[in-house]
Amino acid sequence: MTISVYLPDSEPGPISTSLAASPASLKGLRIAVLDNGKPNADVVMIHAAEALAARTGAVVSVITKKGPLGQSANAAIPLAEDRLALLLAEADIVITGAADCGSCTAYSVHDAIELERNGKPTVVATTTQFEPVAKTLSTSFGAPDTRLLVLPHPIGGTDEPTLNAWAEAAVDQLIALFTGITQ
Amino acid sequence: MSEVIERERRYEPEFVDIADDSPEAMFDLLTSRGLGDGLPVVPPTRERVEAMLQFVTGDADEVLFTLQPRSGIVTRRVVAINAVMAGCPPEVFPVVLTALRALARPEVNLRGVNATTHPVAPMIIVHGEIVKSAGFASGVGAFGPGNRANATVGRAVRLVLLHVAGAKPGFGDAATHGQPAKYTFCAAENLEATPWESYPLSRGVTAPSAVTVHCGEGPHNVHDAEAAGDPALILDKIGSAMTSLGQNNAPISQAEYFIVLGPEHAASIAERAMTRRDVSNYLFNTARIPAWVFRKHFQELAWANWMKAVDDDELLPMTGDADNIRVLVSGGPGKHSLVVPSWGMTRSATLPLEG
Repeated sequence: MTISVYLPDSEPGPISTSLAASPASLKGLRIAVLDNGKPNADVVMIHAAEALAARTGAVVSVITKKGPLGQSANAAIPLAEDRLALLLAEADIVITGAADCGSCTAYSVHDAIELERNGKPTVVATTTQFEPVAKTLSTSFGAPDTRLLVLPHPIGGTDEPTLNAWAEAAVDQLIALFTGITQ
Repeated sequence: MSEVIERERRYEPEFVDIADDSPEAMFDLLTSRGLGDGLPVVPPTRERVEAMLQFVTGDADEVLFTLQPRSGIVTRRVVAINAVMAGCPPEVFPVVLTALRALARPEVNLRGVNATTHPVAPMIIVHGEIVKSAGFASGVGAFGPGNRANATVGRAVRLVLLHVAGAKPGFGDAATHGQPAKYTFCAAENLEATPWESYPLSRGVTAPSAVTVHCGEGPHNVHDAEAAGDPALILDKIGSAMTSLGQNNAPISQAEYFIVLGPEHAASIAERAMTRRDVSNYLFNTARIPAWVFRKHFQELAWANWMKAVDDDELLPMTGDADNIRVLVSGGPGKHSLVVPSWGMTRSATLPLEG
């Protein structure tokens, strides 16, 4: 005989966020790199930002770690207030990460959504292994379309020439993510 | 408009039909929806959930808070559903609810705790009158197995983290290996064997019953049966178990340790007139590593400022403040104690029991 039981999973709270408007062109825009201090996050993101600038006529205006004063970073907490203020003042678009672990993915996505809310299109640099986590958390945090740059895995422990090659190869994907234009 | 506000304040969970009142029928339901912890569950019928709710007061469908990373809605009824599934006897239900209230506190950083690749699990410690009245084990084998209250409270909290907080492996929980403490991780403080004031009282919580949560690793055992209970030999071994570069306490100075003393170790220490604070201070001063070793191993050190300023040759503690070394007593006879390191970017919380 059938019986009725409750479902145990409730539902996410009523939060949703829309992303910042995507620029039509990146020419002249200021790119910031927001580094959470994960090993090699700076290497791959700075190279990608420079390659993107060279291709599009944008400029790299800020490179900073996400801790107070940009001196250090812990990947498992939100970006520091003074870093948010800096990016809002001195950048138009942001690349942040690396989202190649669990808590750092949670907070990279969190930071990206915070920046998007403030009108700054932001790409999260994640990896093939952590893309499902990044997608799940983007949806949980109310922004399922968070811009995810999916790089090979792992970023930490991979040599610099390989990371640079990944960064070069990512430029088309970055342009598409920031502008919404695929070609 | 009023309808929208009403939706945010109250939430009523859905019902579904299953084949019969059996674990097999529940497995079918959970498998089809990607739910559960892998073990059999009790079907959460209306009657069983109502029995659970008899042990708390307040609107069963009031939205109390949300749990990260999914921002899942928590009501008393939602928690009761998961407590039924976990096999909780109804009298432990306020402990489950209080543990979740503690996990929702911002300093716990549940978004990070759940999402990290680290195998962190919340350790739940039950204190005070509820220990006896609801049948929690605080003596021999306190961390299990064998006691229903301990086993099911830890499991109910995990089911809520899976179902409501979204800590599903590979999605909202990226733990590389996971760990057995993620199934259940609950014990009671052994107040009778505590030579000092109760742990909650030492943290300023005066309620008759309380719950502590600490998000960390599984327990590391420390065995000392030497020299007729010389506290230095006991504490040096505990310090040795704390001194590992692989623990997140190493690069994160705000991280706590929970030292769960067995009653015999606690008695040996107290016989030499050491206070709880003396134990913390002793471990703060002995569990140390040269600064250069930390600096060699960690590119990023989330350290208190004073630690950054010391010379390479100085010995630095495994945590930034002696008060981060938390001491309580649990367990039964034997010469064992436990060290429970932290995940790192989290702080423990001790709350009065509140349904």
